[in-house]
Amino acid sequence: MVSTEHKQASAFDRLMRPHLDRLYRLAFRLTGAKSEAEDLFQDVLVKIYGRMDDLVDIREPGTWLCRVMYNHFIDDRRRFARQRLVSVDSALLPGNSVEALPGDLDPERDARRADNITQLEKALSTLSDDQRHVLLLHDVEGYKFSEIQEVTGDPIGTLKSRLHRARARLRELLEQNGTFF
Amino acid sequence: MTCKQLKEQFDDYVDGNLDKADAARLGQHVACCEACQGLIDREQHLKDALRDYGDSSVPTPDATFYDQALARAAHVGNQQQQKHWWLKGFGSAVAAGVALWIIGGMLPGSPEISDPGSTIPAISMVLEEPRTINLVFSSAKALEDATLTVSLPQGVELAGFQGQREITWITSLSAGRNVLPLKLIASSPQGGEILATLQHENDDKTFRLRVTVI
Repeated sequence: MVSTEHKQASAFDRLMRPHLDRLYRLAFRLTGAKSEAEDLFQDVLVKIYGRMDDLVDIREPGTWLCRVMYNHFIDDRRRFARQRLVSVDSALLPGNSVEALPGDLDPERDARRADNITQLEKALSTLSDDQRHVLLLHDVEGYKFSEIQEVTGDPIGTLKSRLHRARARLRELLEQNGTFF
Repeated sequence: MTCKQLKEQFDDYVDGNLDKADAARLGQHVACCEACQGLIDREQHLKDALRDYGDSSVPTPDATFYDQALARAAHVGNQQQQKHWWLKGFGSAVAAGVALWIIGGMLPGSPEISDPGSTIPAISMVLEEPRTINLVFSSAKALEDATLTVSLPQGVELAGFQGQREITWITSLSAGRNVLPLKLIASSPQGGEILATLQHENDDKTFRLRVTVI
C-alpha cells in the first residue's frame, strides 16, 4: 500500500520537474557559484514542498517558483550579509564559462571568445546586485520585464532604469579594456 | 527622428519594445546616421556577448542532483510538516491537573476517551493504514518550556519519523485544551501501549494509550 508521504513526494516530483532547469539557472545567477547555487536550490525545494497547497493552485507556477527562490536568496543574504564576488580565479575553474565554451575549429577565435567572457564576468562583478540581477535575468536568461517584476516585486520602471545603468556601466568597462571593439 | 530621440528610446528600440510606427521611424534615422548605427552595432555586440555568456556560463548539475534534491525536499518537508502539526495549539502553560483526552481522528463515530488515571483507553488500528489520533491535553493554566515525549510500541510508527520509537519536543501549553495530532502507522500486528509523558520543572505525568492492530 502506498503511503500518503510517497504519494505526496510523487506529486511534488511531477509538479516540479518541468521547472528545475530554470530554477537551477536562477540559483546560479543569484549566487554565482555552483555549491552555493545547489544549497539555495535545495533550501528552496524544501520550502516549496511545505507550500505544495499553494503550488497546485497556480496555473503557471514557473514565475511563482522563481519568486520564492529570489525572496529566499534576499532574506538569506540579509541574515548573513554575504557579498557575492566573482574572482578571476573562479572564472577559470572547471565547469565555469571559460573551459565550458563549445569550440569550433578556430582556436584563435575560441581564445578570443574565452577572454571576452572573462572580461565580461569581471565587469558583471562590479555591478550592484540589483543591477546585475536584472541584467542577467533580462539580457542573459531572456526574462521579460513583467516576469522580473513578478520575481523581484520591483516596478517595471525601476527595473528598466537599473538595466539601463547596468548596460551603460558594462559598455564603459568593456570599452576601457578594448573588449569586443 | 533625431539622435537625441534615439538615445531617449535606445533601450526600448534595441529590445524591440517600441510600437511599429516608432520603431520604423527610428530605424529610418539609424540607416542614415553613422553615429547612431555605431551605437546600435555596439549594443548588438554586447547583447551577443551576453547571450554567449548565458549559453556557456551555467555549470551542469550532476546527473543525480535533481533526483536527490527532490527526494531530500520530500523527506525534510514531511518531517517539518509533522513538527508543525504537533506544536500547533500549544501556546501557554499548565501546572498540575493536566488531563488527557484522546479523540480517534480518522474513524467516524469514535468515542472520545478520557483518562483520569483509572482506566487505560484503547484504540484500534488497521495494519499499514495511517490513523490520526488527537491527544488533547487539558490544562488548568499555562506552562512554558514543557517537555513532551511520545514513546511508541514496536511496530507502530509516527509518520515522518520512520524507525524512531521515542520522539521528544520542547513546547509550551496554553490554559485549556491543547491538541497534539499524531499520525500513526502500524507496520506489524503486535500492538502495545503508546506513552505520552509531559514534564515540566520537577513534575511529570504519563498518559497511556493501548493500541490494538487488526
